[in-house]
Amino acid sequence: MVLVLALGDLHVPHRAADLPPKFKSMLVPGKIQHIICTGNLCIKEIHDYLKTICPDLHIVRGEFDEDARYPENKTLTIGQFKLGLCHGHQVIPWGDLDSLAMLQRQLGVDILVTGHTHQFTAYKHEGGVVINPGSATGAYSSINQDVNPSFVLMDIDGFRAVVYVYELIDGEVKVDKIEFKKPPTTNSAP
Amino acid sequence: MELEFRRRDYGATQKSQCLPRSQALKHPLSSTLASRQQQAKTVRGSDLDFFDPLRGLDVNDSAEEKVEDTSISIEAVTQDLIKEWKSLKRVLMQRFPVSKVISFSPISNIIMKGSKVEAPSALSYSEETGSEQTSLEEPAKIINQQEYIAKVHELREGINCAWQAEDRVTSLKLSIKVTKLLMDTTVLQFYPTVFVIVTDMLDMLGDMVWERIKQKAEVDVNGTVICSLPNDFQSSNICLEARETCYNWFCKVGSVRELLPRIYLELAILPCWRFLINQPMEVLDRLVMMVRGLADPLASLYCRLYMVHRMQKFGFCSSGYLIKCIKDIEDVLAPVLVDKEGYSYITDDKKLLFSLMEPAIEYIMKCLFLTGRQENNVLGMLEELGFGRNKFHSSYNSSHVSILLHHLLKELPSELVSSLAMEILDMIKCSNDCSFSQVLNYRLLGNRLSEGKSQEGFLSSLIDEVIQAASQYQSLYDYLRIMDAYVDLMLQNKMENHLDALLDDMVSLARDKFLSEEEQSSLQSIILELSHFENLQEVLPLNHFIEILDLMSGTSKSSVNMHLLNMGTRNGCICDSTTVQFLFEVSQALYDATDFVNIKDDDNRQTSRLISRFVEMVDYGAEMERHLMFLAECREAFSGIHELKETLVRSSNTLAVKALKAGKKHINFVKSCLAFSEVTIPCISSPTEHLNLYLETAEVALLGGLISHSDGLVMSAVEYLENVAVTDGLKSIDVDSMASVVCKLCSLLVMIPGNPEKGVMEILKSIFSATCSSSWATPRLKVKIFCAIMSLLSTLSQDNLPYHSANPEIIGNDLLFFGDSSYKQELVSCTQLVLSELLDAIEQESSQIARGNMALEACNCISSALVMNEKVTELCLRLLETAKGCLGANDRYIESTKKSLQL
Amino acid sequence: MSNFLDQIESIAPPYVSNLFSYDHDINVEFEIAGFEFTQEPVEGKIVIKSATSISHQAIRLSVNGSVNLQVRGGSAGVIESFYGVIKPIQIVKKTIEVRSSGKIPPGTTEIPFSLNLREPGESIVEKFYETFHGTNINIQYLLTADIPRGYLHKPLSATMEFIIESGRVDLPERPIPPEMVIFYITQDTQRHPLLPEIKTGGFRVTGKLATQCSLQDPLSGELTVEASSVPITSIDIHLLRVESIIVGERIVTETSLIQSTQIADGDVCRNMTLPIYVLLPRLLMCPSVFAGPFSVEFKVCITISFKSKLAKAQPKSDPTAPRLWMALERLPLELVRTKRDQFSC
Repeated sequence: MVLVLALGDLHVPHRAADLPPKFKSMLVPGKIQHIICTGNLCIKEIHDYLKTICPDLHIVRGEFDEDARYPENKTLTIGQFKLGLCHGHQVIPWGDLDSLAMLQRQLGVDILVTGHTHQFTAYKHEGGVVINPGSATGAYSSINQDVNPSFVLMDIDGFRAVVYVYELIDGEVKVDKIEFKKPPTTNSAP
Repeated sequence: MELEFRRRDYGATQKSQCLPRSQALKHPLSSTLASRQQQAKTVRGSDLDFFDPLRGLDVNDSAEEKVEDTSISIEAVTQDLIKEWKSLKRVLMQRFPVSKVISFSPISNIIMKGSKVEAPSALSYSEETGSEQTSLEEPAKIINQQEYIAKVHELREGINCAWQAEDRVTSLKLSIKVTKLLMDTTVLQFYPTVFVIVTDMLDMLGDMVWERIKQKAEVDVNGTVICSLPNDFQSSNICLEARETCYNWFCKVGSVRELLPRIYLELAILPCWRFLINQPMEVLDRLVMMVRGLADPLASLYCRLYMVHRMQKFGFCSSGYLIKCIKDIEDVLAPVLVDKEGYSYITDDKKLLFSLMEPAIEYIMKCLFLTGRQENNVLGMLEELGFGRNKFHSSYNSSHVSILLHHLLKELPSELVSSLAMEILDMIKCSNDCSFSQVLNYRLLGNRLSEGKSQEGFLSSLIDEVIQAASQYQSLYDYLRIMDAYVDLMLQNKMENHLDALLDDMVSLARDKFLSEEEQSSLQSIILELSHFENLQEVLPLNHFIEILDLMSGTSKSSVNMHLLNMGTRNGCICDSTTVQFLFEVSQALYDATDFVNIKDDDNRQTSRLISRFVEMVDYGAEMERHLMFLAECREAFSGIHELKETLVRSSNTLAVKALKAGKKHINFVKSCLAFSEVTIPCISSPTEHLNLYLETAEVALLGGLISHSDGLVMSAVEYLENVAVTDGLKSIDVDSMASVVCKLCSLLVMIPGNPEKGVMEILKSIFSATCSSSWATPRLKVKIFCAIMSLLSTLSQDNLPYHSANPEIIGNDLLFFGDSSYKQELVSCTQLVLSELLDAIEQESSQIARGNMALEACNCISSALVMNEKVTELCLRLLETAKGCLGANDRYIESTKKSLQL
Repeated sequence: MSNFLDQIESIAPPYVSNLFSYDHDINVEFEIAGFEFTQEPVEGKIVIKSATSISHQAIRLSVNGSVNLQVRGGSAGVIESFYGVIKPIQIVKKTIEVRSSGKIPPGTTEIPFSLNLREPGESIVEKFYETFHGTNINIQYLLTADIPRGYLHKPLSATMEFIIESGRVDLPERPIPPEMVIFYITQDTQRHPLLPEIKTGGFRVTGKLATQCSLQDPLSGELTVEASSVPITSIDIHLLRVESIIVGERIVTETSLIQSTQIADGDVCRNMTLPIYVLLPRLLMCPSVFAGPFSVEFKVCITISFKSKLAKAQPKSDPTAPRLWMALERLPLELVRTKRDQFSC
């Protein structure tokens, strides 16, 4: 059982001063094995904060990130899953499943995690899964000024994954879960 | 054949592909409360376990405090001391490096005469005991330090060889010779090095003799084992012969005429006394006294150091000897401190001398307290050293040599520092000699007191006295240095009155005075101490705080300012207007002190970061107009900081969104914000930031339903892109982030209604032509952008766009051009144009792998945007062939692309 | 028994005698116990190593103890004609046969022996003085083994010295009662001229010293510099041995410096007590002897050297000779043999 925290689009300090305290109190060090972050943190202090939760931190670059060294895309393998990471402002149109599927093919990943829309979504597509953890601070987005803060925690166990969605709605944390399995072998062209 | 866009139903797809979610009653973070407590516990636990080698024993001590037993095991002490001794040796060798060439006095010249010793039989008895005489007229030889050390090592080797060859006479004679080197104190700074080398040799000799005699006691000449000595053997267990041999060693060593080598050599074989007597108390008493015969202060101190080391090593140590030693050291130092006229002033020679003495004194003091703890008699020991006496004899002068007092205070257990604080203060007052700065002793007391958790009532009167003592110094620097150490104490114990008094004093002493650099740095240190406060709001109301700040200048002022700024911004939003004003002034001072235009170093970067952070953190709450004014002021005040421009734009945009959320009535304010951003953006130098901020501002304008603003902003962005495209001076453009900005622009265009007057495709075409004509666009960038444009065109052709602006006043192109065939026609012709450029761009790429990947990217894009009619299929197959040619048939990306094409 | 092969660790000359071999193939050696006490027999063995067998007429062992007095000159007023004229004083001389005539087989043969120096009833002419090797006086005990082998062969012989210490029974117990002498050394106690600055500036050094001392105990005492206007460079304790011989009507005295021990190096702190501690060198000392024709006595000389340019210019010869920059104090020292039981510090 491996816990992977996925979050992004914090936009600290411009659009939000900090993570919601209710989230912060849940995210304690020592529980989470990996963090994948879709970018737009934006300042180093957030990077350092995430490091305290879990030192294994993977970040891709959002358009407002201070640290220009983050890559545009990143892939990593956890359990039987290959994960891809991209901020998503480069996807046309934003959040489009077909376009994300192209990126998924390009990166060759089972789970693609992207952000930018500040809206939690989880789709299955062409045998893979596309997840957007939303904005962890509820920062306004390109499309919308009213955003509920949210993040995702993935519990990966072999071929199985459970995605927990944490959303802060009207001051309460609401947790949903989504389960999926990786088909044993998805291989070979017809 | 005509191109046709693939029809998409975004809503339906999302609905059908959406993964089902259900409420989670249990989730991995649900038990956080319990685990958090556990976490906290382990953190605290590991704090206790933390072993700081310097304060290690205090930890031990505090752990055992509860059972009122401060004694520590001998093993632990021995272990510690072995470490201490090793590190002391390192310190001695490193702290006092020697200039390459040294001239040695005749005594050391003995050593240079070679390590060969004539056959023992050829020497008369008195010569054999090593009382070689050197003619004092012999001129000092000049040799190199390395040579010297090499020579000593050679001698040491000789000692070893002779020992192995059972020629113990030669061994001893060489040892005596080496030990005599310590009689030479002519080159002061070389003494510690010589001490380390010689005592190493002596330790070695001591071990060899011990082993030899032990063997004699355990095994007889025929090799039969007589007995096996237990660790705590009695002298009565030792056979006569071994004892004879042992006594003979002492006789031989005792026959050395010179006092210093005789003491050292006896110390080397000190443990062997155990073969002769059970409790060598008298021996130790005598040795302590014998050292008094050495008049040279340095030589005698180092000799005592070796004595303490040897006593400790063999468990002979008791605080009685150490106290005698320390008292003797005081007596020896007395004439050094005071000249014939009774003045105590420091000279360079003395300074050097004391610096050489310090490590030895420190070690002896350490041993004293270790032994005191072991004997569980620290208090009794202190009484011996003169503590507590003045309670009974008020006239008793409890003055100590400052350097000793310093190290005593340094080693004193912290609970005793608190309980004896007043007395220590009196001692410091009395001890004002040149061996150690009194100021530093006052400071040390303060620092030691801050360590403890003292809440005692004496603090108030103690600090009163310290302030009084400190004000007697002529220099402000000394005053500040002393008081610096007490600030923490005052803060810890909430002694506001004292703090006020101190700040009063500081201002009255420093006012109208030119402050030296040292004084500045002391002031700085005191102000930094005040950062003990969590919050800037607690610091600002302090008496004279601002005034003291104004006293400072230069780098000290800047670093204090940086600190204050850091402190002010670390706790989230800054809402209090006084604090904002204060920090603004601090920032201004920092800004004025820094040359942002010409120098770009880390310090400047740090400063600009801090100022930007401050601007970001300011929050005027509902006073949004005030906030915008503040941003304008900052733009004015810190015009040289590039980084800040970005912050200003982003803050103003956030302000606009905040106003939007607050309701429609603020629309004019939103416009002001947008105007502010629009005016500020052109100052930003980085092209991608520049574009990003135009886009963000345009997004905000869209959220506000301000279509003309967003149009203008997008146009500005495109114009800027065109400008960037023609300037080839900008070599520093990050192509990847440039590509992603343009991609983002394309996605943004989905929401922006086309302007029928200027032509619906106008913006798109501008991007396209700017990309085609740009000098810096690489084939890869072009492919990315052309694919983006194609995806956008396909999206725009749909009857329902995937997203619209959140503002209902903005009508999307899907509604605007619903059923407009010329609009669709334009999209198609545009696509055709882009497609041919796309294919060209792929051909331009020189790298095979990159070209292959580009072909696949294009293939994916085309198949997703267009209906797969014959022409498109053929195109895709061609692209796949190109990819195969570049990447090979088994490429994973080719596989997945093929699969998606369903060919 | 033991052989203290390490010279540094031995307290006497080698206990295995050097070979006195007259024949290439034959060695005769002794092995005897470390010390002999006058009440106890000398015990040991004669070791004969030979490649071939040896026929002999007898094996005899003789012991010879004597006091040899010699005037080597050097002392003031001794006439050269005295040289060598003094007859040695015989202490003991006896011979025993350890084996009657016979044959010694090839290889190593050990012949143990035990020889009483003093038979219970026997009256002796002289006291068994302890072994002593001085400048003019030598008290020596020798053991000789002789193996006569007829006319055709050279006789074999080996000689070695053995050490005599006073017996155990009649010795005083330790610790012997301390006889402390308190001394004061000032500019006024000096019988020789001093430099004017020392004389006028003045000094005062006090202390005490045990003047009766067991040979197994260190010479001990203490010393304090109470005052000195001229800086001190060194304070030394010198052990002196005085050998006196009566030659005719005169007494010839030879004083030799046995050992010097520095107790203060440099201008030491005033009023700080310094220990006097001198381990007595074993072979150069013996109990003080006052015999008829000769005596061996000991003295302690304390020297205080003051800082002076003259001192540097002067070559060092006799450190106890009176100098302008030195203060001296001589004290008698009586050394006695006590029971060997334990070591003291």
